[in-house]
Amino acid sequence: MSDPLIKSIEVRERRRDITHEGTSEPFFFRLGDYVAGILTGILTALAVRLIVGPQWDMVVAMLVGMGVGMLVHMTLLLLFTPLLGMFEVMMPLAMIGMYGGMLFGMRDSMQQAYIPLSTALIVGGVFGVFVVFVAHWWNRQLRGAVFARPEARRSS
Amino acid sequence: MKIAMPVTAREKWDWLSLTYDLMTWGEDWRQGGEKRQLFAKIQGRTLLVSVGTGNDLKYLPPKCNLVAIDISPRMIERARTKASRAGGNIRLVLTDAQRLAFADQTFDTVLTVCTFCSIPDPVQGLQEVYRVLKPDGRLLMFEHVRSKIGLFALFLDFMTFLTRRFGPDLNRDTVSNVLQAGFRLQHEANVYLDIVKIIEAAK
Repeated sequence: MSDPLIKSIEVRERRRDITHEGTSEPFFFRLGDYVAGILTGILTALAVRLIVGPQWDMVVAMLVGMGVGMLVHMTLLLLFTPLLGMFEVMMPLAMIGMYGGMLFGMRDSMQQAYIPLSTALIVGGVFGVFVVFVAHWWNRQLRGAVFARPEARRSS
Repeated sequence: MKIAMPVTAREKWDWLSLTYDLMTWGEDWRQGGEKRQLFAKIQGRTLLVSVGTGNDLKYLPPKCNLVAIDISPRMIERARTKASRAGGNIRLVLTDAQRLAFADQTFDTVLTVCTFCSIPDPVQGLQEVYRVLKPDGRLLMFEHVRSKIGLFALFLDFMTFLTRRFGPDLNRDTVSNVLQAGFRLQHEANVYLDIVKIIEAAK
């Protein structure tokens, strides 16, 4: 934070805090996050495999893969946002679509002949699980108080 | 009192009122607990800026004394049924958050839920909130903001190009806007990553 007013805040702590105890959400939301991640990974891998050719320039394949991944994830956003929440879906799915699309595009331009479609789809699904897991872990690190004035803490 | 409002913002939110409840169903479930904790802190005469379809009224403590505003007549219409179900003294008013139709120092608490992502000039809106708050009045916010993590921030910037025309901005720096409007920041907590936040400030 560069703002001097923010710097002046005295108490800084991460994770849980007294005034805003984290509330536990139903388990099916976490399960839903993983289902959305797996589906996005698989569909991104499939779409990239169908579009990117084996002899493509790697840079072009990477950029096309990213664009394809973005389109896939934005389409799935419309399906999953009402069920799972906007940001909880948007952030991991965007990472899967963008970065997964780039990686899958690079791979398919170089190794398409050696990696069967079924393996590519499994890798897509595993990538989806990995990104959702990292998003959940990261959220646990960031969740809770960023800062609070001591007097505000006492009065609340 | 009739306030002249920007037609485009009103039309946008009138249109969004048709799908708003559907699109926020999951979010409502996941973040309801945090909202209930925040809403429990309201005291005295309270202003809820941008009531939307009234989804959040169920988190209010009983016997609250609340004025809820929105720029969209259709949102207000949909909120009316939920307001009657919520109990308490809730009055719905059609007005623009950038030009509030209330006298100076009217409210003890101002509450906002995903509001300052949508107001065209957020600092002007917050200055209006500052004006209508009593001295030492509290601003309680549940807002989504631009992430400080570059990876997410770039994406939120990109998505804002798409969402701005038919929904909220996703890359507002609301904490800085609160300070710019003259408030003293009292508390800031992350609800989801560093994007969905609870912000508490005092006049």
